[in-house]
Amino acid sequence: MKNSASGEPDSYFAIRPECQGDVPKARFKPKIGKTLSARRWHAAFSQDGHLDIAGVLRRIQRGGVHPSIKGVVWEFLLGCFDPNSTFNERNEVRQRRREQYDALKAECQKMVPIIGSGKFITAAIINDDGQPMQDPSTSSDPHDNIGVMSSNDAVSDKKVIQWKLSLHQIGLDVVRTDRALVFYESEINQAKLWDILSVYAWVDNDIGYVQGMNDICSPMVILLENEADAFWCFQHAMRRLRENFRSSSSSIGVQTQLSTLSEIIKTVDPKLHQHLEEVDGGEYLFAFRMLMVLFRREFSFIDGLYLWEVMWAMEYNPNIFASYEESDSNVATGKNVAPKISNKLLKQYGKFERKNVETGRTDQNSPLAVFLVASVLETKNKRLLKEAKGLDDVVKIVGDITGKLDARKALNEALKIHKKYLNKAKK
Amino acid sequence: MAAYRADDDYDYLFKVVLIGDSGVGKSNLLSRFTRNEFSLESKSTIGVEFATRSIRVDDKIVKAQIWDTAGQERYRAITSAYYRGAVGALLVYDVTRHVTFKNVERWLKELRDHTDSNIVIMLIGNKADLRHLRAVSTEDAKAFAERENTFFMETSALESMNVENAFTEVLTQIHHVVSRKALDIGDDPAALPKGQTINVGSKDDVSAVKKVGCCSS
Repeated sequence: MKNSASGEPDSYFAIRPECQGDVPKARFKPKIGKTLSARRWHAAFSQDGHLDIAGVLRRIQRGGVHPSIKGVVWEFLLGCFDPNSTFNERNEVRQRRREQYDALKAECQKMVPIIGSGKFITAAIINDDGQPMQDPSTSSDPHDNIGVMSSNDAVSDKKVIQWKLSLHQIGLDVVRTDRALVFYESEINQAKLWDILSVYAWVDNDIGYVQGMNDICSPMVILLENEADAFWCFQHAMRRLRENFRSSSSSIGVQTQLSTLSEIIKTVDPKLHQHLEEVDGGEYLFAFRMLMVLFRREFSFIDGLYLWEVMWAMEYNPNIFASYEESDSNVATGKNVAPKISNKLLKQYGKFERKNVETGRTDQNSPLAVFLVASVLETKNKRLLKEAKGLDDVVKIVGDITGKLDARKALNEALKIHKKYLNKAKK
Repeated sequence: MAAYRADDDYDYLFKVVLIGDSGVGKSNLLSRFTRNEFSLESKSTIGVEFATRSIRVDDKIVKAQIWDTAGQERYRAITSAYYRGAVGALLVYDVTRHVTFKNVERWLKELRDHTDSNIVIMLIGNKADLRHLRAVSTEDAKAFAERENTFFMETSALESMNVENAFTEVLTQIHHVVSRKALDIGDDPAALPKGQTINVGSKDDVSAVKKVGCCSS
């Protein structure tokens, strides 16, 4: 997929030379014997394509995924495919999904022809009432091309208006997404990111587009060359993240996870929680971004991806594919149709999820990311108690450490907090 | 650039919020003021971010705790936590995008709905360096600011123009409000007294500020 054969991660996600100083230094290096390599990955399939997911998870949890195969591995980690299927079956699923994406995109294109054109917009195309914008002062941006936009009259459908109103926001964010990467110097690649986010906002109109989704989607666009594949990979990542992005007039979804975080700290370190409350940090708003975009801003690009895949491997549940397919076909059955959990099946769970299954917890609001924030706070608890006199100090102390974290070690610390929490919460 | 002071030694702590539409340059104004940095590759803000800087105002050390927020409407849900305790606000628009100026009215309403009436507000026309793309005239903005009793300045975070002035002016004005009310404040220097309205944005003050500004082209 990428033209470089070298094992150096930098060559996969090249940084523009003039931006080297602006981005955190990359720390991740593939480790022989630990990182899931391309050779190992291919060897993990049986002749007809069944994947030894337990073995793959073991590797990823020890050293991440080699950059050359991240995209295809992520598809499994995120539940796009069932490891217990054959090559042929998966090809069919892939084909069907590509066609489905094309149809969805065509539907969007009909309403806004610039979609799929290799260009995108950064200024509003309609106003809040659904009237097309004509004020030339709103389109001073070179990306704006009123001519290629949907010409037509006022839009009446509320769903359509809401979607159209989000398109320029997506554009404003696309031009600010991972711009230090050579990949996004290309306007075609920027437009690809815009297309995917725009189609997603249409399909999942309940959530629409919320700032931060661009950070989640960007790596998929880079890792999966085929746009439809990238879309579905993003769509599956959103299945576990979308509730964070749900917003009403009085709250935003991620606040549920912030409350969980608060609950965890209260349980494992009440003193620290009390201190945070005293410095007006009791709402844990300083962790907002970490949870929304899964630490992408705290890490270099490659280290962020490393963190994600180790986290997803630890959270892996072998029923993920089946449960997604089931919820799509609207078959209403009891959740977690897990058959009797044998030892062999237990090995197909990630470390974190296994613990949850063993203790009978299936709490959607307590993903590993929340425990990761908790463990970062715990690691710094002495400094926080002593030095943090305001929210900004908390941010600074937490920021000092996150940049230096090794993703795998940090997640293993998070697993310890998880265990501690489960033990204490039981009592 | 003046030396930045150690953060833990100050007489007053003022919470100041940055608001305005997406992409007008709030985060770059903040990084210019607190770290003297500007990035053309800056990313969108997710939720809230914070930064601080201490400066000398009159004979006091004032520490500004500045809250920066995402511009997207959808993030308004965390508004109440965001505005709680704020004593100053920089309401930013982009002089090259008229729609961001049009929306200032909406932001002002939100600000007034959620904050104490003593709050010091400054309207900021950012990206003033993009002279050939200007879509909002200085006069229009000035007139609006006078009508709404807010301070006004045009800035360029990129060229470092007026950024220092804008923040310093807001902090100075807050300090004046606080000093006038010093007797009521007791031992909590960050809190402004509630109740009595102090008109910090009188016309005289606005024109005084305008003299500091220098950017219409």
